[in-house]
Amino acid sequence: MGILSIRKCAAILMAVYLVEVAASVGAQTFPAKNKAITMIVGFSAGGSSDAGARILAGGMEKVLGTKVEVLNKPGASGQLAYTMVAQAKPDGYTISLASLPGIMVSIMDPDRKAAYKKDDFQPIALQVVDAGVIAVKADSPYRTIKDLLDDAKARPKKITMSTTGLQTGDHFSILQLQQLTGTQFAIVHFDGAGTAMTALLGKKINAYVGNVGDVLSQLKSGDIRVLGVMDTEESPFLPGVKTFEAQGINLLGGSWRGYIAPAGTPKEIVDKLSAAIKTALETEEVKRAMDKLGLQIRYMDTEDYTKLWDSYEMMVKELIPLSKQ
Amino acid sequence: MAALHDLLMGFSVALAPGNLLYAFLGSSLGTLIGVLPGIGPAAGTALLIPLTARLDPTGAIIMLTAIFYGTQYGGTITSILLNVPGEAASAITCIDGHKMALKGRAGAALSIAAIGSFIGGLFATIALVFLAGPLTKVALEFGPVEFFALMVLGISLMMGLAGKSMVKALMMGILGLLLAMVGMDPVRGAPRFTFGRMELMDGLNFVPVIMGLFGLSDILENAEESLDSTKSAKVGSLIPSREEVKDSVGPIARGSLMGTILGLIPGMTGSMASFLSYSMEKKISKHPERFGEGAVEGVAGPETANNAHANGALIPLFTLGIPASPTVAVLMGAFLMNGLIPGPFLFKENPQLVWGVIASFFIGNVILLILNLPLIGVWVKMLKIPYSILFAVILAFMVIGAYGVENSVFDVFIMLLFGVLGYVFKKFDFPMAPMILTLILGPTMERSLRRSLEMSQGDFSILFASPIAAGLLTASLIVLITSALRVFPGTRKKVPSGSGSDRRK
Repeated sequence: MGILSIRKCAAILMAVYLVEVAASVGAQTFPAKNKAITMIVGFSAGGSSDAGARILAGGMEKVLGTKVEVLNKPGASGQLAYTMVAQAKPDGYTISLASLPGIMVSIMDPDRKAAYKKDDFQPIALQVVDAGVIAVKADSPYRTIKDLLDDAKARPKKITMSTTGLQTGDHFSILQLQQLTGTQFAIVHFDGAGTAMTALLGKKINAYVGNVGDVLSQLKSGDIRVLGVMDTEESPFLPGVKTFEAQGINLLGGSWRGYIAPAGTPKEIVDKLSAAIKTALETEEVKRAMDKLGLQIRYMDTEDYTKLWDSYEMMVKELIPLSKQ
Repeated sequence: MAALHDLLMGFSVALAPGNLLYAFLGSSLGTLIGVLPGIGPAAGTALLIPLTARLDPTGAIIMLTAIFYGTQYGGTITSILLNVPGEAASAITCIDGHKMALKGRAGAALSIAAIGSFIGGLFATIALVFLAGPLTKVALEFGPVEFFALMVLGISLMMGLAGKSMVKALMMGILGLLLAMVGMDPVRGAPRFTFGRMELMDGLNFVPVIMGLFGLSDILENAEESLDSTKSAKVGSLIPSREEVKDSVGPIARGSLMGTILGLIPGMTGSMASFLSYSMEKKISKHPERFGEGAVEGVAGPETANNAHANGALIPLFTLGIPASPTVAVLMGAFLMNGLIPGPFLFKENPQLVWGVIASFFIGNVILLILNLPLIGVWVKMLKIPYSILFAVILAFMVIGAYGVENSVFDVFIMLLFGVLGYVFKKFDFPMAPMILTLILGPTMERSLRRSLEMSQGDFSILFASPIAAGLLTASLIVLITSALRVFPGTRKKVPSGSGSDRRK
C-alpha cells in the first residue's frame, strides 16, 4: 500500500470541502426561483384535507417566492402518496401532506404491506387539528358523556357507535375510549361522514364519532348534541362544548394534519419549509380561509411534530390488534 | 304557498344578468366535463372551484351547481355516439344508446336523453321546493338494514338482464360480485385479491373498468373490419319519431321518481340510479328482448334517473347539511369556502342565496336543454369520421381519461385489461350488463350487510325487523320467482319447454 501523497490528500480534502459547500449552497438557495415544489396530497380533490393543503400551498408560494403545486394522489387511505414521497429525492422539492393517525396505521399494520417505515420520513411541521367529537341526537337520553358511558357499562356491546371508516382516527378514538373507561361499544364502520350522520339522524345508531368539521351543520340546526371534544383545548367552532379532558377522560383524537419530506432532506431545507409554513399560517388570508372551512390551525415545529409522531407510534402499536377484532 | 313566493323571489335573484351568465357558464363547462371521459363530476367540480373564488357567494354556488348537473347531460353524448361512457352514471346508456346510433337513430337517442334529463332535473327540483321536508324523513328511514334490502332488490333484477343464456348471465353476475370484493375488507381490514398492489386497496376504479369493457372492446371489435368505414352510414332524422316518444313517456316518468328518491338517500350514487332504472325498465317491459338492440326505453329511463338523482341529491344538503354523494361533498366544500354552512337554517339566514340557487336549477336545466338540442346535429357528425382517425382519437382520450381519474398509470392498464376482457366477452356472447350491475351494487350490499350485523352484534334477525327492509326483501323474492318462471317456462303448464329467448322468437 502506497503512502498518499500530500497532493492527493489535498485533493481529497478539497473534494470533501466542495461537496459540503455545494450542499450548503443548495440549502441556502432553496428554493430555486423557477423550480416548483410539489405538494403531494393523498386524498381526492375537493375534500377537507385537500382544501386545507391548497390554502397552505397558496400561502407558502408567497413566502417562498416559488410555485407550490398540489398533486392529488388519492388511494389506499393516503398510502400511495406516502410511498411516492418516501421514494422521492430528498431535496425539499417533494413534500407530502401526512394525516395522523392514518400514516402511522399504514406503517404499523402488517396487512397494509407498506413499502416504507417511519424512518423513511422527515416530519416538517403540523398545520391543522381537526379534533374528534362524540355526538348524539338532540333528543337522545344521553345528556353527558357520563350518561353514555354508564349505559355502556350496564349493557356492554349494545350501544352502537359509528366511525367514518375502518382504522380511521374515529375508530382509534373509540378503541382508546374503551380502554380508558373499561366500556365496550358495538362499533359500526360507515364510509364517510355523510352516511354515518344520516344513520345518527335516522336513529339507526346511538352515537356518532367524527371530526369537528363534520358536525357543524347539524349542531347549528339543533339536530344533535356534542358530548365532548377530543383535544387539549375547546374548539373555537364548537362554543360551549367541553373537552373530554375537562370531563375527566384523557381522550385526545381526530385528524392531525402536517407535512413530511423524504428522510435525508438537509436540515436547513426542512427548517426553511417549516418556517415558511409558520409564516403562511400567520397571514390573515390563510387564517380566514381555514376558519371558513372549520379547520383549526395549530402549528408545531419540526421538533414537536416529530414528538407527536413518536407518541402516535406508541398508541397505534397498542391499538392495532384491537382494531381487527 | 309560501314556497311559491320564495321561489319567485329566487327567480329574481337567478335572473339577474350576472347570475344568468354564471348558470350558462356552469352548464357549458359541466357539459364539457361530462363529454371528456375519465374526468367525472366530482373531480371536475373540484378543479373548477378556484375559478369561482372571486365571485360573490350566490354566483359561485350557482355556477358550481350548474357544473355539477351539467355533467349529467354531457356524459351521455360519448356513450351514445362512441360507446365510451363520459362518466359512470351514463355507462348503461352505452348498451342501447350506441345501438341506436348504429341504426341511424343517434339524433333521436340524444334528443330523448336531453329531454329526459331535463324532465328528471325539473321533477327533482320541484320536489325540493315543495316536498323537501317530508321527503327528508323518508331518507332518514334508510339505515344499513334498509340499504342492504334495497341492494338485494337491485341485484335480484340481474336475472332480467340476461340475454340468450341465463347461465352466462349468472356467471357474469357472480364475476361482478367477485370483482366488487377486490380491496380492503371493510370490517377486518385485510386486503382481498390485491396481489400486493396498493392501487387495488380501495377496489377497482369503476370508470377505467367500464371504459375498457365498452369503449376499448368496441374499438377492438370494429378493428376487425376495414378501417375506412365509419360508425354509421346514415345519420337519420335528429328528431325522435312518434313511436320513440310514446315509448319514452313511461321510462321518463318512472326515472324521474326513482332518481329523485334515490338521490335523497345519502350513499346512493348516480350510477346506481341509472343501472337500477335500466334493470327495472327491462324487467317491466313487454318486449324485454328489444333491450340491448337499441331500445329507446334503455336510454330514456337511465338518463332521466341519473339527472333526477343529481338534482335530488341536493335535497339532503339543503335540509340536513349532509352531502349525499362524493360530488355533493365537493359542492359542500364550496359552500363552506364561501362562508356558508349548508343546512336548514340557511333558508332563514340567507334566503336570497338559497332560493336564488334553487331557482337557478330550473334556469340551468332549461339552458342545458337549449344548449344541447341544437348541438346534436354537430355531435352526430362524429359518426362520419373514418375509423382510422376516430379510433386513434378515442383511444388517446380514453388513456388520458383513465389516467386522470386518480393520476395513476395503473388505471390505464386496468382499462386495457378490461378492454381485452370485454372483447372476449363479446366474442363468446357473455352479457356485460349483469356484471356491471353487481360490480356497482356489490360493495354497497356487502358493506351494509356487515354494518347491519355490527349493529346487532351478529344477529341476522335485524335484517327482517324493519318493515321497509322486510317489504324490499319480499319484493326481491317476487322478482326472483317471476324471473325464474320466465326462464324456466317448463314449470308452467301449456308453455312448451325451451329457453325463454327461443319462445319469444
